[in-house]
Amino acid sequence: MSELRFEDVTVRFGRTTAVDRVSLTVPVGTVVGLVGESGSGKSTLARAAVGLTEPESGAITLGGRPVPHRGARRPLQMVFQDPYSSLDPRMSIGDSIAEALPRDLDDVRGRRARRDEVARLLELVHLDPHRARDLPARLSGGQRQRVALARALAGRPEVVIADEITSALDVSIQGAVLNLVRELQAELGLSMLFISHNLAVVRYVASRVAVMQGGRIVEEGPTAQVLGAPEHDYTRELLAAAPGRKPS
Amino acid sequence: MASDHGRARRWRGVLTTPVGLTAAVLLVAVAVLTVLGPVLWGTSADAVDTRDVLATPSPEHWAGTDNLGRDILARTLVATRLSMVLAVCAITVAVAAGLLLGAAPYLLGGRAGRLVSAAVNVAVAFPGLLLALFFAVVFGVGATGAVMAVGLAGAPVFARLTQTLVAQVAGRDYVSAARVAGVGRLRILLRHVLPNIAEPLVVNATIGAGGALLAFSGLSFLGLGVQSPAYDWGRLLYDGISAIYVNPAAALAPGLAVLLAGLAFNLFGESVAKGFGVPVLVGAPELRSRGRAAAAAADAPTGTDGDPDEAADDVVLEVRDLEVVFPTATGTVRPVRGVSFDVRRGEAVGVVGESGSGKSLTALAVSRLVSEDGTVRAGRLRFLDQDLTAPDSPALRRMLGTSLAMVFQDPMTSFNPTRRIGRQLAEVATEHQGLGRAEALGRAVDRLDSVRIPDAGRRARQYPHEFSGGMRQRAMIGMGLMGTPSLVVADEPTTALDVTVQQQVLDLLAEIRAADDVALVLISHDVTVVAEVCDRVLVMYAGRIVEDVSAAGLATRAQHPYTRALVAAVPHMDTDLDQPLATIPGRPVDPAEVPAGCAYAARCPLADARCRAEDPPLVAAVDGSRVACWHAGEPLPDPVVRTAEDRTGLDALDADELVEAP
Amino acid sequence: MTTTSTPTLADAASTSAAAAPRWWEQPWVLFAARRALRLLVSVWVLVTASFAMIHLIPGDPVRGALGPTAPAALVEARRTALGLDDPLPVQYLHYLQGLFTGDLGTSLISQLPVVDVVGQRLPATLALAVLAFLASVAVAVPLGTLLGVLTRRGHGRRTELAFTTTSIVVATVPDFLIGVALVYVFGVELGWLPVAGNASAEAYVLPVLSLSIGPAAILARIVRVEMVTVLEADYIRTARAKRLRARRIHLRHALPNALTSALTLGGLLLGSMVAGTVLVENVFAWPGLGSTIVSSILNKDYPVVQAIVLVYGLGVLLVNTAVDVSLALLDPRSMIREG
Ligand SMILES: Nc1ncnc2c1ncn2[C@@H]1O[C@H](COP(=O)(O)OP(=O)(O)OP(=O)(O)O)[C@@H](O)[C@H]1O
Ligand code: SF4
Ligand SMILES: [Mg+2]
Repeated sequence: MSELRFEDVTVRFGRTTAVDRVSLTVPVGTVVGLVGESGSGKSTLARAAVGLTEPESGAITLGGRPVPHRGARRPLQMVFQDPYSSLDPRMSIGDSIAEALPRDLDDVRGRRARRDEVARLLELVHLDPHRARDLPARLSGGQRQRVALARALAGRPEVVIADEITSALDVSIQGAVLNLVRELQAELGLSMLFISHNLAVVRYVASRVAVMQGGRIVEEGPTAQVLGAPEHDYTRELLAAAPGRKPS
Repeated sequence: MASDHGRARRWRGVLTTPVGLTAAVLLVAVAVLTVLGPVLWGTSADAVDTRDVLATPSPEHWAGTDNLGRDILARTLVATRLSMVLAVCAITVAVAAGLLLGAAPYLLGGRAGRLVSAAVNVAVAFPGLLLALFFAVVFGVGATGAVMAVGLAGAPVFARLTQTLVAQVAGRDYVSAARVAGVGRLRILLRHVLPNIAEPLVVNATIGAGGALLAFSGLSFLGLGVQSPAYDWGRLLYDGISAIYVNPAAALAPGLAVLLAGLAFNLFGESVAKGFGVPVLVGAPELRSRGRAAAAAADAPTGTDGDPDEAADDVVLEVRDLEVVFPTATGTVRPVRGVSFDVRRGEAVGVVGESGSGKSLTALAVSRLVSEDGTVRAGRLRFLDQDLTAPDSPALRRMLGTSLAMVFQDPMTSFNPTRRIGRQLAEVATEHQGLGRAEALGRAVDRLDSVRIPDAGRRARQYPHEFSGGMRQRAMIGMGLMGTPSLVVADEPTTALDVTVQQQVLDLLAEIRAADDVALVLISHDVTVVAEVCDRVLVMYAGRIVEDVSAAGLATRAQHPYTRALVAAVPHMDTDLDQPLATIPGRPVDPAEVPAGCAYAARCPLADARCRAEDPPLVAAVDGSRVACWHAGEPLPDPVVRTAEDRTGLDALDADELVEAP
Repeated sequence: MTTTSTPTLADAASTSAAAAPRWWEQPWVLFAARRALRLLVSVWVLVTASFAMIHLIPGDPVRGALGPTAPAALVEARRTALGLDDPLPVQYLHYLQGLFTGDLGTSLISQLPVVDVVGQRLPATLALAVLAFLASVAVAVPLGTLLGVLTRRGHGRRTELAFTTTSIVVATVPDFLIGVALVYVFGVELGWLPVAGNASAEAYVLPVLSLSIGPAAILARIVRVEMVTVLEADYIRTARAKRLRARRIHLRHALPNALTSALTLGGLLLGSMVAGTVLVENVFAWPGLGSTIVSSILNKDYPVVQAIVLVYGLGVLLVNTAVDVSLALLDPRSMIREG
């Protein structure tokens, strides 16, 4: 396991600066929450980390070395927001997971070994291994999101980035996914960058929180401290706006 | 497998339409002729009879003879093979070149990719015939030249289509996910992209084959296609037209052949495209009753909701046994199944429930806005003492236009993109309040100002895309304030907005409510928002109200197991971090498959035999709250038993979810 | 009750964005610049392609044109006259130079300047294309709109099926077959209308008809589909929530949006109409570019072919640019989208 570090990362699209000199660390075995409004650059930061967009400057390192974006091993994995578009509708969920298995590990070589590994992963996210041959269309949103988590775990990642993984889900299903995230973290000691616009959700899963506004990180620290005694005006504004804060 | 099954059904769907069937039969006929034509009629087609040249139709020669006395019908039938071979060759060239060019930008990426796609964009602007002429010059006059000409001329269109489709699929998260997982570009193209774009490509290739056939006849007609002594339909047509004054049938036979074959490809392609596209919700014609109103009196709805107390004087909106029915391919669905509630003057009523529970449809139904394929019925539907089940009339429209304000979920799409904001607001005044254009615009600016749009005068002249999301939503509220509303119906007005902006919109709604005693129906999937803004909350499940409870009592006094689970499932800023969140196993009920008995029974920890057999009615308690549950208020099993330590418990719950939909 | 009158973040962002841009950052300037650049590149591609055409032909084009029996000296003389013996880059420069000075070369067959040939033939083609375009739009837009309203969701399933099928069938029939059929019925059998040339006003009827029927069917179909789609849009629901009269909703709110989408596809159609004149002119012996290009291809009179391809191509490009510009005027968003 190793820590994920963003150092002075800047990402630009044309003339707009989406991420502006961001430095952030995801320490080993912790869940770091990243909150902020739409357009504040959260997803761009995540996509830069996994190599889906190219940062203009700065470094993103994993255990001191640049995050590898080529080759069979991808120690940084990502789970996407929309469970309905993150699984190939024509590929069985088992194949989707198998595709992400590292190809250079001895214990997942061979058809049988891969099938066993897929079964193990499905069980890990509380899905029946017999469903490996189902197409995504037969799964509910929450189940799909669990498959997406299993796929991310298949790559034996050291860090997982979760980008708004519950915001497309109904509240009744969101709870199950959040429970799973906490459980996996506790069992596997996973490090995670958990992106969400929902403060209550981040509070529930993350031990540290970073607040992002206009491409910059304006405040970062332990969850209890940042949410309990915010220092930046913007964090205070976010907290004040969170529903359920007013005495009714 | 499900998809195979679905595919078989869709094919059947295509082939059972008259058009699809005709096209398929024609296609088979063309295929048979291609194989057998020259075998069966080859000799008679070449039999020269100089005594009988340029004859008109007769029993021996149904379509007459040509200038060498050869039978035109036989020649037309024989020409099927060459015509089809050429068309198929041409479309193969077009598709192959198009696939290469279309996939290149994705594979190459970067500058090279952009160059290819720019080149395709330039080429696609030129019409096929022009390109065909160009290539006909380059490759020379004749069959090979024509194949290349028609093929290459079709390539840009296919390249563009492939490119668009590839770009669409490549933008999906599952492709990003595969990239993150370390799958290479070529592999992604082969495993994820091509399988997902195969259908539209094949359909378009089919239509393209028809186009190629017709293009060939065009080139041959110009004398640039197949040259004597070989002949295809175009060539026969060319010869036939020169003899049209003597024997029109000489042109008619090959002309018809080209047309029928071309039509076979086109109609078949179009039918398949339609059949495999987004399924359209249509039913038996007699179900397509359009009047929301007309049907109301006819059928007594079957809803079982208990009446709220006798309607009091200050009731703004009164709803009894509201139903919404849609026709589907297999019958009808009833996504709203007997809903009853009142909204009093100045009251804020929240509606919560999972996606698909019928919240939006209820809101649309009470505002007479359900799309026209749906039927709305109600025992009673009154707004400000007007019967909303009455047929449409100018007076009713004016009353609704000025007294009922609507706010919709997506501020990005709810304004007309081609009209200025000010005009869109002013329209209400010119239509219903008899104001002139300038006056109406003045009022619009005033209203925009009242919802705190800064610099309202200038903003009124802007287009919607120049507004931010929050401003648009405020402008939408301003539109409702053009009249003097008694009720604002807001369907997820803040779901698309950021939290800080959400708060401003909610505050604005609260202010309007306070200022003029305006009632509010606020739909949201967010229990916390509703609890904060509203006086009373209606909880909907599977098209029914299952609980009607005061907002203050939502967290503590809710009786229905669903309401209690919904409240407990949502983390809030004071949630106990040591406990797992409550979960609701299984999935929401599909309106097409509402079970007998309580719709929630499959997911309810309290469900028993009675629940599965009898639907509980919505009954009122002394404090005015209502609940529909046989076991209302009984203690729920402690959610703690469903933690990680107790895997078996979780798996058992999951097993519920695993039950496959029939 | 808290009444925050502080402007929101989004407001702040959008006002500062609205105030900042200099004149060259205005959307319409950027749009015009992008559009002009694309037109220039396209014209360059077109010119180069028409230049390349003569060099892509296998064998000696002059020998091909004059036939195998022509004396070698004559062939050589023509080659020199055409400049075919110069190195390619020099030829290319001469070609470009010629274009700027209005010199398109001389016909291999008639020895007339190509500019004169084109200039003499262009007006007839132009008249045909423009009239056919106006005719198809005049029929297709009202028809498509009406059918769109009649077949909007929940209505007119049978009407939709009948119309869609009819329009596919009509659009499948190639222009020249329609032409031939019209010639036969109105010219030969009934003898009501002239079937060749453009000497009288009546002579326009049949060519314009045969050129516009197919595109009208396609355009009507596009307009209908767009209309149906637009009538499902959220902002139509907003208009209904304003309780506007149906006519106002259809004509003021739906139609302009349907037309902007239809225009994109309609532009391509218009382009193909320019090319469609080739076939129709040949049916009606119309003294335009279309009949000239075909006879020139058959006679291997390449300079003429080259010039006419260039003219057609330019026509298509201008039409496309015009479509984009009118789109930008109708729908302000399209300027910001990749123009
Ligand atoms: N035009 C229609 N034809 C057929 N079924 C429809 C139609 N419109 C809506 N439905 C169905 O009615 C049900 C209720 O839809 P509705 O939009 O009211 O749900 P909702 O509670 O607002 O959900 P959400 O939270 O997703 O907005 C859904 O299952 C939906 O599929
Ligand atoms: S009626 Fe029965 S199944 Fe339905 S909610 Fe109540 S206890 Fe559960
Ligand atoms: Mg809804």
